Amino acid sequence: MPRKERRNWLNFNNMSQTLNIQNLHASVDGNEILKGLTLEVPKGEVHAIMGPNGSGKSTLSKVLAGHEDYEVSEGLVTMDGVDLLELEIDERSRAGLFLAFQYPHEIPGVTNANFLRAALQARLPKGEEIDAVGFYKDMYAKMDSLNMDRKFTGRAVNDGFSGGEKKRNEILQMMMLDPNYAILDETDSGLDIDALKIVAEGVNRMRSPERGFLVITHYQRLLDYIVPDVVHVLFDGRIIKTGGKELALELEEKGYDWVTQELAPA
Amino acid sequence: MADSATLEAVNIDQDAGDFTYPEDYEHDAGYGLTTETIDYISDIKKEADWIREFRHRALKVFNDKPMPTHWASKDLENIVFDNIRYYLSKGQKPTRSWDEVPDDVKETFERLGIPEKERKFLAGVEAQFDSEAAYSNVKEELEKEGVIFVNSTEGLREHPELFRKWFGKVIPTGDNKFSALNSAVFSGGSFIYVPPGVKVAHPLQAYFRINAENFGQFERTLIIVDEGAEVTYMEGCTAPKFETATLHSAVVELVAMKDAKIQYITVQNWSNNVFNLVTKRGMAHENAEIRWIDCNIGSRLTMKYPGVIMKGRKARGEVISIALANDGQHQDTGAKMIHAADETTSNVVSKSISVGEGRSTYRGQVHIPKHLKGCKNNTECDALLINSNSRTDTYPAITVRGNQHATQHEASVSQVSEEQIFYMQQRGLSEGEAMSLSVNGFVNDLVREFPMEYSVELKRLIDMEMEGSVG
Amino acid sequence: MAQENLVSWFAAPPVLELGLELPDWYHQLQESSWQRFLTIPEPARTDENWRFADLKKVQFSELQAARPAQNIEVLIKRAMTERVNEFAAHFVFANNRLVYSEINGLPEGAVCLPINEALAEHGDLVREYFMQEKGSLGGDKFSALHAAATLSGLFIQFPKGTTCELPILTHHFASGDFNCVFPHTLVIAEDNAEVSVVDTFETANNDEQNIFFANVDLVATNGASLQYVALQDESDRGPKHVQINSSRVGRDAKITSAFVNLGAEWIRQESTARMMEQGSDCQIFSANLANGVQEYDQRTLQSHEAQHTTSDLLFKNALYDQSRTVFAGLIEVKPGSHHTDSYQTCRNLLGSNEAEANAMPGLEIDADQVKCSHGSTSGQISDEEIFYLQARGIDAEAARQMISLGFLNESISRLKGEAVQTYLFERFERKFRSLRDA
Repeated sequence: MPRKERRNWLNFNNMSQTLNIQNLHASVDGNEILKGLTLEVPKGEVHAIMGPNGSGKSTLSKVLAGHEDYEVSEGLVTMDGVDLLELEIDERSRAGLFLAFQYPHEIPGVTNANFLRAALQARLPKGEEIDAVGFYKDMYAKMDSLNMDRKFTGRAVNDGFSGGEKKRNEILQMMMLDPNYAILDETDSGLDIDALKIVAEGVNRMRSPERGFLVITHYQRLLDYIVPDVVHVLFDGRIIKTGGKELALELEEKGYDWVTQELAPA
Repeated sequence: MADSATLEAVNIDQDAGDFTYPEDYEHDAGYGLTTETIDYISDIKKEADWIREFRHRALKVFNDKPMPTHWASKDLENIVFDNIRYYLSKGQKPTRSWDEVPDDVKETFERLGIPEKERKFLAGVEAQFDSEAAYSNVKEELEKEGVIFVNSTEGLREHPELFRKWFGKVIPTGDNKFSALNSAVFSGGSFIYVPPGVKVAHPLQAYFRINAENFGQFERTLIIVDEGAEVTYMEGCTAPKFETATLHSAVVELVAMKDAKIQYITVQNWSNNVFNLVTKRGMAHENAEIRWIDCNIGSRLTMKYPGVIMKGRKARGEVISIALANDGQHQDTGAKMIHAADETTSNVVSKSISVGEGRSTYRGQVHIPKHLKGCKNNTECDALLINSNSRTDTYPAITVRGNQHATQHEASVSQVSEEQIFYMQQRGLSEGEAMSLSVNGFVNDLVREFPMEYSVELKRLIDMEMEGSVG
Repeated sequence: MAQENLVSWFAAPPVLELGLELPDWYHQLQESSWQRFLTIPEPARTDENWRFADLKKVQFSELQAARPAQNIEVLIKRAMTERVNEFAAHFVFANNRLVYSEINGLPEGAVCLPINEALAEHGDLVREYFMQEKGSLGGDKFSALHAAATLSGLFIQFPKGTTCELPILTHHFASGDFNCVFPHTLVIAEDNAEVSVVDTFETANNDEQNIFFANVDLVATNGASLQYVALQDESDRGPKHVQINSSRVGRDAKITSAFVNLGAEWIRQESTARMMEQGSDCQIFSANLANGVQEYDQRTLQSHEAQHTTSDLLFKNALYDQSRTVFAGLIEVKPGSHHTDSYQTCRNLLGSNEAEANAMPGLEIDADQVKCSHGSTSGQISDEEIFYLQARGIDAEAARQMISLGFLNESISRLKGEAVQTYLFERFERKFRSLRDA
């Protein structure tokens, strides 16, 4: 497949095989939320971002995806060397960035199967048609791995789904679209423990030297199942502490107050 | 925004109906509408006296009736009846072979894909060019079973015993100003009779084409389906994009006898200068079913409220309607359900999309008079607004008498939210693709009601109309 | 022809000598309104606002401004048997004249006066809000007549921050054939004030042809909360009742209004609610019990004129015998009024084979990010429901009434204040009792 080849070629250029965020400032409605965030997620690693409510976690995911409500005033984001901020929302997606939404949107009347097909079709060169048989086969296999009923293919995207079903559907989309970098925005919210395990298994299966993950969460619980390589603490729009997976446990034990009192600028 | 292939495809489609051939008419009633116009038409058609009188009476009603602007759009006042030609024809009789159709007319319909569709999946075709049918054919086996499929002139002349009984009975001349206008100057349209028990498997198709500027097309259709018989009828229409307004004002009457079924499908894609003011109504006798499946995409102003009079016990009426109003368009559509017998049921599902400064309006009437029992109506109308200056209105009226009925009406207005588009874009779809997918999702369940060949075309037409609506 | 009819409603303006000095602007308004009344044509079939209406009901003739009522003591006594101690103030008007008033506890600063006294004493304040909305739902002629006439009713002003738990109650009685009364209620709830008002319309005697021409102006400014209830419990035969309400809702303010109809031969109620600033909210309820040949004609407009405004409407009709209802409601979202949430529901419960319910729920949307819907249903009590209650030992007739009462109560139960709910509920029970006895 041509895309694989491209990726292999890019592998030679190790320097750029990261999602690199430098000094990112972003605001919404004139309020600055991200105040100089710097972070690097190399391919093959899973990074977790933890932080209290209002620290800017969701803003980060929206800014990376290119939501129009957020204005970037300063900073640089590159994905495998490409200036991400210069791209449109859909161009970022096709370049290999995936966002699993905290609140996946409902699309009445558009079935899951049609939606995924359209998204995959958008990635093919002009004139090339998606192979329908292969598509369904692939989708069914991935749905089975997520314990999703096949009836989901005929249901409208997220329409009337439970919280858990929506999150599972996000992971299915991620599997199908095979991104280079995936951002999971509070994927654990609204999940019971069984659903959480299934979702985490799905993510773990996708871990590979060719893919980077940014897992945004408020609670340590998710990180029991998706074990991160690096943990960052986000507070007031900046990364104030970075450590190994043990940092998450420490945070859970001592609370955010500990780290903010210790490290937040006075 | 859209890639060049899409744009290219779209351009071809948009222009599909936008061409015209030089005018070359044998008969032209000239501009304006007087008693002479009517005699001119009647003379050419060599009509029986009762038809001529019917026309003259209708002209009087038309002149006496005011425009319905107390409830309808003031845009109606922009129709200048004196600037319209009421009859144009090449003097030809409709032929049964495309080879005998005059070249320009034949090319017109070939460009619109009619002969091809006929070969593929139609049981019969009538193709009308301005005032008269140029081609009319029905499969032989149907003819042998006694199915009649002719134009209105021929129908009234050759089969008065069949058609006169119902002509003007479902929709009286004075029903409204435009039904009166049609009754005065009607020409063309289909007259269909399906004998008892005959189930026509493939659709019959009529195609209405306006070629000339400053012209009014007034076809008249009457479909009678006898006991236990079934038919599906489809009509399509186009006109070139002229500078001046064009008028299309049809009257369509359906009669479904006991246990009969009629499905009437319309894909209206007039150019944006056409006033499309159409009266459509069916009468369903005992246990009969009439379904109007209606899609309005074109025209400047469409006013059309297909109706069913459920006259016999257990009769059923249905209107399934999709409307798409773009800049400069007003789709004023709806349904009329008149329950006139026990245990009759009606169903109305209407979906409209307003794009840019387009305006869509739903008007509905459900009437259940006294001394009936077991009548049911369900009405759902949903409107989708695409841009912040798009507009939608809903005006239903429901009258129920008595305590043995159930009616239910629901309407909602929503829009494709920015968050929904963002979500889809994050999966790699362009803004335009995301919008098209959302809109098609909105009408998807109704599009399925159209025959396969039409639903594909519909989807393409909707995509085409949605292009450029975002950003 | 039409002109003759007009004059036949009234030979002269229905004006009474009050012995009060009223401001000039008001006299001028009365005069110009009378002229307007004469020129506005009678309701006609071609007016969409009168679709489905029985126009014969508005062919008035030989009307007169009410002369003083007889047996006032009896009327006051009737009004006093209510739970009046659960109200902050109680005013009784008979044939357009104040005959009794009692104040139990109004908050300091609150003004609660007969409208004519208010015109004399607070003329400027009244002027600012008095009949400022030009009726647009078909009743212009009635409004003009009302503005030309001598009025009865209350002027209520709750200044900034004034609140009162208990509602204010009025009774309006009409007595004597062809007598017309002109009740007016003007309520101003200023910033963050809270006020609740109940108007009760009754007739002194059964089967007299009285006419009520009522107008109500409701105003709530920043953060205020205003509740208004009209209880129309006139005689089933004879009286006609016209009522035109207008509500103007300011920023983050809320107006709840309710129409409860139990009597009158014919009613026409129009309600216009304007959500004029961000955060405006309007709730409109109605519960109507129609029997005999009663005809209830109600028209409403929910007009959204600013961003982030909300409204909800729930009208319920229970119909018996040959009664008839018309509901026409429009939700209008004006250009630029983005983020509107607006709903409208009309439900009809038909209890006889000759009753007729007409519903015209409408939407006109010209804005973005709007959530609007309307629904309308008609149906009847199912045999299963009756059977269920019968199986619990309740006879079929009682079961039917119980279900109807529950049906109507759904909209009443959304009103604020126990006193108001109980007051209305008892009237419903009384009406059902009288139907049972009849």
